[in-house]
Amino acid sequence: MGQQVEFALRQSMHRVLVVLVSFLPGLLAFLVAVILFAIIGAIFAIIVRRILLWIRFDERLSAGTPNASVSLFEWSSTQPPSRLIAGLLFWLCTLVGVAIGISAFGASYAVDSRMPIFLLPYLTHVIGAVLILFVGTVVARFLARSVLISATNAQLQYARILSVGVKWLVLVLAAAMALDHLRVGGSIVSLAFGILFGGIVLTLSLAVGLGSRDLVSRSIERTMERPSGPTEMTNPRPADTTPRSRLRHF
Amino acid sequence: MASSPSVAGLSSDHESSATEAAALHGHMPRLLVCVPSMPDEALQTFLEDLATVFRKDEVLIASPDLEEPEFAPSLPLTVFDATRIRSDWVLTASDFLAANELAQKHDAAQILLLGSDACSLPAVCIRQMADQIATGIDLAVPTYSMGAHDGLVTSALLYPLTRALFAVNVRFPLPMDAGMSRRMSDRMASVARRHAGSQPDALLWTVAEAATAGFRVKQVDAGATIPAPPSSSDFNALFASVAGGIFADIEAKAPFWQKARGLADAVPELRGASSRTSDSNDVPEELPGMVDAFRLAYKNLQELWSLALPPQSLLALKKLALSEPSAFAIGPALWARIVYDFALAYHLRTLNRGHLMGAFTPLYLAWVASTLRIANDDASAMAHREETAAAFEREKSYLVARWRWPDRFNP
Repeated sequence: MGQQVEFALRQSMHRVLVVLVSFLPGLLAFLVAVILFAIIGAIFAIIVRRILLWIRFDERLSAGTPNASVSLFEWSSTQPPSRLIAGLLFWLCTLVGVAIGISAFGASYAVDSRMPIFLLPYLTHVIGAVLILFVGTVVARFLARSVLISATNAQLQYARILSVGVKWLVLVLAAAMALDHLRVGGSIVSLAFGILFGGIVLTLSLAVGLGSRDLVSRSIERTMERPSGPTEMTNPRPADTTPRSRLRHF
Repeated sequence: MASSPSVAGLSSDHESSATEAAALHGHMPRLLVCVPSMPDEALQTFLEDLATVFRKDEVLIASPDLEEPEFAPSLPLTVFDATRIRSDWVLTASDFLAANELAQKHDAAQILLLGSDACSLPAVCIRQMADQIATGIDLAVPTYSMGAHDGLVTSALLYPLTRALFAVNVRFPLPMDAGMSRRMSDRMASVARRHAGSQPDALLWTVAEAATAGFRVKQVDAGATIPAPPSSSDFNALFASVAGGIFADIEAKAPFWQKARGLADAVPELRGASSRTSDSNDVPEELPGMVDAFRLAYKNLQELWSLALPPQSLLALKKLALSEPSAFAIGPALWARIVYDFALAYHLRTLNRGHLMGAFTPLYLAWVASTLRIANDDASAMAHREETAAAFEREKSYLVARWRWPDRFNP
C-alpha cells in the first residue's frame, strides 16, 4: 500500500511538473513581448515628446490664456500636454505588447487547453476595470478640488464636507462600474452601491440643509417682507466690489 | 459689436468720403482713433469734443455702429469692424487685430484704441496721447485718478509685476485705452493673431509687449476715473482671468525678464486732477468679516497652498490666520514672494490652473484686508503701493532663482 501511495504521489507530481513546464515558455513569451513593446513604447514616447517640444506644442495649446482650464489636458493637473501624449503613447505600446504576449502565451500553451480562450477576454475586462478606476479617481480628485475651492470662495462653512462627499460619490460610482464590468458580485454590488450612494447623498443633503437653515429662513423672511423686490440671494455680486463695501478691485 | 449689412453698405461710402477728404487736403490721415460702440448722442458729443482738439485732416474716426449720421461730422468716419466678444471692459486680441487692419488700410501712423469708457476720457487727454505718439513714443497709456481703495488688483499684482519684471513704471498696465505707434500696433497685431483663432477675447499686455520689444512707453494723466468692469461679471471669474492672464504673459516672456535689468525709473505717481479721497468710515466693519473669510480659506485650502508655497510662507500665513483683525497684516516682502510662487506654480502646472487661480483668490482678498487696515487715506495708500512695488523689485532674484531651479531646496 505504501508503494501505491508513493506511486500516486510521484505520478501527480509528474503531471504538475509537466503542466508547469508547458506553462513556462508561454509565460516567458508573454514577458518578452511586454518588455520589448514597453521599450519600443518608451523610445517612441521620447521621440514624440522631443518633436512636440520642438514645435512648442504646449505653448500653442494653452495660447497663453487663463481659459486653458477648460481644455481637456488641464484635467491632469501636473503634467504638460506633451508629456501626457508621450505617456499615453507609451502605455498604448505596452498594452499592444500585453495583447501580443497573451496571444503568444495561448499559442505556446497546450493545444487542447481552453485556458487562453477564457483568459484573454477576462484580461481585457480587467484592463477596462482598471481604466474605469483610474478615470474615476482623476475625475473624483478634480471635482473634489473644484467644489472645495468654489465653496470656500463662496464662504460656505461646510465646504470641506461638500468636497469630501462629492469625491466619495464619484469614487463609489467608479468602483461599482468597475465591479460591474468585471461581473463580480452581481446584484449584491448593485444593491450595495445604491444603498451607499443614497446614503452619501442623504448625508450631503442633511449637511447642506441643516447648515443653511438659518440662511434659508432669513431669505424667506426677507422675501415675505419685500414681495416685489429682488432678494439679496438672487442679486449677483458686482464684479468690482465686495458685498457691503466700496472697495474697487479693478 | 459686429457691423450690420446696412452699415457695411454705408461703410464703403464713409471710407470713400474719408479718402476724398484726405485727398482734398493733400495727404492721408495720420491718426486713427478707434472708439467703441456708443449711443448716437454720445458719439456726436465725443466727435465734437475731438474736433476741437484735432485738425480734421489728420484724424480718422472708426466706430462699430455707424448709421447714416443726422449730424454733419467734422471728422472723417469709417467702420471699426471689431467684434467685442466679452464685455468691452478691456481691450482684447480682436480689438488690436481690427485696429491694425484699419491702420494698414488707411496708412495711419498713429493709432488710438479706446475702451468702453471713451466718453469719460477728456479730449485733452486723447490729444496728449496722440502728441506723445507723434513725438516718437510707441505706447501711450492713460493714468486714471483713484482713491485709496480703488484699483486694488492693479496695486496688488499688475503694477508691481510690470514694474519689477519689465522695468516699466506704468501705473495702469491693464489695457483699457492705448495710443500706439504703427510698429507697436503691428507688434500687438502679430501677438493677437496667435490668439485670434482660439481665444479672440484674450487679454494682451501692451506694456509688457512694448518693454520686451524695447519700445518707449509713456503714461498720460487722464484725470478720469478707472473704467469699471461690467456689473454682471462674477468677481472670482474676473480675477482668475486677469491674474491668470498676467501669469501666462510672465511665462511667455521668461527669457526677457530673467536678464538682469536696472530698476524702473522712479517716476512719481501721477495724481489726477480729481483724485478722490476715500471714505474709510466702513473699513473697520469690513475687516473682521474679511479676516474670518481668510481663516476659513486657510482651514480649507492650506493643503493646496502647500503645493505652491514654501514652508516659510505657509508659516507666515498660519500666523496671519491666528492674528486678530487689529494686527492683520501681510508684509510687502511676503506678498511679493506669494505672488511669485503662484506665478511659478502656474508655469510648472503644480495644480490645475483654474484651481490655482481659485486658491489664489483668498490670498489676494487677505492682502486687500491688510491694505484696508494699513492704508485709509490717499497718502498712506500711495506709500503702501510704492512699498509693495519696491518689495517686488527686491524679491525678483527670488523668482529668477526659483524659476531656473524649481527643484532646489527652498525653505
